[in-house]
Amino acid sequence: MLLSVDNLDIHYGHAQVLHQASMSLTEGELVCVVGRNGAGKTTLLRAIGGFMKPSAGDIVFKGEPMSGLSLEQVAQKGIKYVYQDKRVFGDLTVRENLELAAYPTGESMDSAIEKLVAIHPKMKKLLDAKAKGLSGGERQILLIGRALVGDPQLLLIDEPTEGLAAIIIGEIVDILLKMKSKITMVVVEQNLATVARLADRIYVMKEGVMAREITQREIIENPSNYEEEL
Amino acid sequence: MFAKIEKNQALTLGLIAALFLVYAYTTSLPRITDFIIFCIFVMGFDLLYGHMGQLSFGHMLYLGAGAYGCGMFAYHVSPNPFVCILMGILTAAGLAALLGQVVVKTGGAAFALLNLALNEVGAYLVLSPMHRITGGEDGLSLFFQSYGFINFGDSVFRFYFCLAVLLLVAFLLLRLVRSPFGNLLKAIKEDEVRARFLGYNTYLYKYVTFIISGAVCGLAGALTSVNLAYCNTSLIAPTRNVEVIFSALIGGAGSVMGAVVGGTAYMTISNYLAAYIVRWEMFLGIALLFFAFYFRKGIWGYARRA
Repeated sequence: MLLSVDNLDIHYGHAQVLHQASMSLTEGELVCVVGRNGAGKTTLLRAIGGFMKPSAGDIVFKGEPMSGLSLEQVAQKGIKYVYQDKRVFGDLTVRENLELAAYPTGESMDSAIEKLVAIHPKMKKLLDAKAKGLSGGERQILLIGRALVGDPQLLLIDEPTEGLAAIIIGEIVDILLKMKSKITMVVVEQNLATVARLADRIYVMKEGVMAREITQREIIENPSNYEEEL
Repeated sequence: MFAKIEKNQALTLGLIAALFLVYAYTTSLPRITDFIIFCIFVMGFDLLYGHMGQLSFGHMLYLGAGAYGCGMFAYHVSPNPFVCILMGILTAAGLAALLGQVVVKTGGAAFALLNLALNEVGAYLVLSPMHRITGGEDGLSLFFQSYGFINFGDSVFRFYFCLAVLLLVAFLLLRLVRSPFGNLLKAIKEDEVRARFLGYNTYLYKYVTFIISGAVCGLAGALTSVNLAYCNTSLIAPTRNVEVIFSALIGGAGSVMGAVVGGTAYMTISNYLAAYIVRWEMFLGIALLFFAFYFRKGIWGYARRA
């Protein structure tokens, strides 16, 4: 077991947004978390990433409890987060964005660049471009490539295809499929067609509760089986 | 053209040197020495504000710490100017190291106001409880030892010495802000949480930057004491913080060259406009409004894009 989340409660002030949410992840899996807006998907992901402190419950990564760890300690444990809003460090170039990720992990720049170019060869031409000048899709690719620096063991990806053109969505999904089985991923996604292509398992969230876990391949591949539950 | 100059470190330093040499020999050497020292102060302040995104309303404290560290050492211990300047830098850096432990944990308005509050406390301590060693309201008249041609009583020597120090500080800061450390400062300015999630202990980097900024401002303070052969409470006055903030804004925050342009522009306005207009500060305010609305990137920011 790489990650286990047990009976997690999260509050925003007095409002409880996660109610005893539980999930687990084994190495090499790609698990999708689906649900309507406000179901608590991003909150769950942020809690695993250490951005939010749970009011109850446990998050255990590689057998070690994650509670009380700072953001940088969570990152150093090998968990990387790809944000929903596709915000990169815009004043830096693509190369400098990678350099910033490589420095604390000790990975060489050549290797960091290689990883980015491996997932999307066109990025090679953009290495010296300011990141703020990239398109939404290119930013997303940079964020994924940057997250791969340092060989993380768990990648948390929040809505990777949101707001992107259909053609770019296809490219992002292809990238995630390429990464699949090489790295363990939790992907929060609302686009069920994407989920059907990516997921090994699905967690369906509803009003802060983990409503259902779907493991059968034939059900995952046919979103009509679970879209009514969203 | 200016963008190309900024990318080349030697050209940037050459431009700064040429600017001050031409300005000094067409106006007044002692006056431009003041300008140079003020520019060092702006560069120290802008490392924190322009590069790391933390606005301090109290950096006169570190200028004052440098000025008094240097001045008190010269007055009470030894008139060796180099040791005095070093003492000024160490005093300011030490104070920044002490206060930074608390200050750096805050951000935004709290950071700005906490610095202002500490500046007020520092100015009060210098003025009253410590008046026996600081000279209180009267300040300290200073004397610095000469060693052959190294004569701080000579305005020409002071000009070239301060210009050399400015170029050295500019060189070091350019190296710093263009290094991975500088890129991390930009990342912290854009989004500190995300920088932390790359695995950085951002508190440590902010703390180190705060100390470097304090030390550079302290260097400017120490040079002021040496240049004036005098230090008094005007060198730690909290009301003067607006001068450095204004300079960073009109020059273009987040650029070493912008700090030099802003510092020079501010000193030019405050020195020359005051000769013709009694309430010159009003025009400074109008100029600031103009920059806030139409030239948010400052003079250098726009020159760079032209």
